[in-house]
Amino acid sequence: MIESTSPRIRTFLPPYLLERIAGGSDPRLRECARHTLQADHGFRARAGAARLAPDSLRRGEPARYIHSAEGRQELPGRRVRSEGEGDSGDPAVDEAYHGLGATYRLFWEAFQRHSLDDRGLALVATVHYGQDYENAFWDGSQMVFGDGDGELFNRFTIALDIIAHELTHGVIQHEAALTYAHQAGALNESLSDVFGSLVKQHARGQRAGEADWLIGAGLFTERVAGRALRSMAEPGTAYDDPVLGRDPQPGHMDDFVETQEDNGGVHINSGIPNRAFQLAATSLGGPAWEGVGRVWYDTLVDRRLAKDSDFGAFAELTRDNAAGRFGASSREAEAVREAWRSVGVLP
Amino acid sequence: MTRPAAPPTLVPASVLRLSREGGVAHFPGLARPRRIHCARYSEAQRGELQRLLATAARACPVEAGADRRLLHLSLEDDRGAEVWTLTIAEEAVPPALLDWWRHAESEG
Ligand SMILES: [Zn+2]
Repeated sequence: MIESTSPRIRTFLPPYLLERIAGGSDPRLRECARHTLQADHGFRARAGAARLAPDSLRRGEPARYIHSAEGRQELPGRRVRSEGEGDSGDPAVDEAYHGLGATYRLFWEAFQRHSLDDRGLALVATVHYGQDYENAFWDGSQMVFGDGDGELFNRFTIALDIIAHELTHGVIQHEAALTYAHQAGALNESLSDVFGSLVKQHARGQRAGEADWLIGAGLFTERVAGRALRSMAEPGTAYDDPVLGRDPQPGHMDDFVETQEDNGGVHINSGIPNRAFQLAATSLGGPAWEGVGRVWYDTLVDRRLAKDSDFGAFAELTRDNAAGRFGASSREAEAVREAWRSVGVLP
Repeated sequence: MTRPAAPPTLVPASVLRLSREGGVAHFPGLARPRRIHCARYSEAQRGELQRLLATAARACPVEAGADRRLLHLSLEDDRGAEVWTLTIAEEAVPPALLDWWRHAESEG
């Protein structure tokens, strides 16, 4: 992955090192380092402005800041709604604001986590990014949402679980920092889907058996033959469309996809751990964030979860955490073990 | 992260394959590679493409984060052998090169 130049990571690169690279012999690295140094100055300027976007000092309360890129591809753009301000009347702005609030609430109420870093870090999002931009992403320090093209995709803030998915990438970056490629990357993706779905279920007050287990329902326009971006319950069935193609997600290790595309299939093979979570949650019943969700959260913050973990290592840790929190012969521990067996990750 | 060299000189027999992939979901239909057959373009257009590839190659590698879209480029010689590849974050791609991608024909 995907290292080295986000604003957050930039601050970890000591300027003297950058200066040295900038004076080094590889012309391309030299130019990148110079670019980073310049951007660093920009980031410091932003850090000045960030005094107006302070972190939350009170545990249990978020600090949200929504910006508009106004159709350009510049971050963070103009600030249009800050914590405590009323609705703006712009659906994308207000959906982002409320979506970040719902995500903060799940992490706080279910796991007593105070924002991305558990220390109240400000939640920064930008909407109206680019023209007809059909994507949402986490840039290493903030969330970014496009308006969609209107042909295939609606605006990306329309789906609460997508907002929560992007924010969860920030939580992961502050915890296990799973490498964004191959199985570790698919775990990174799966955790974002799991907590994305949990935020939606929590906001709707749904029990595991009532949830749709879809990711990104509502994003497609009516022109698309599909229900959502992904299905955690039935990976591979979310869409089958002449333009988008067919949902490529497997739900079992027998169908694991070896590919160089998509950072080694991070959005493809995430179907396998997604289904394991869904199976465990529905077999237990009740609110999914209380039983299996708690186990997955304990695993996400577990210091033993290495950056380069594969599915097997992650599964073993969830078993261990289920036993630690609920008891080795608890229903929870049994449900977790059975779920990983069903998808072929554990024997 | 590999550090790509500057692209080789485009000749009429060169074929450029481009695919835009990544993003919050992987859509096989949208990620399908597209091709630009240099033989179908004038020398001036080839020169323009050459400049855009050189600019793209000087862009910094993929940036931090998740769910970013990437542009994957690969250049083939007249025998179909891959002679150069580059993967960069969409934000770092020269806009005019994205226009070439937009108008390139899909491999179907
Ligand atoms: Zn993601």
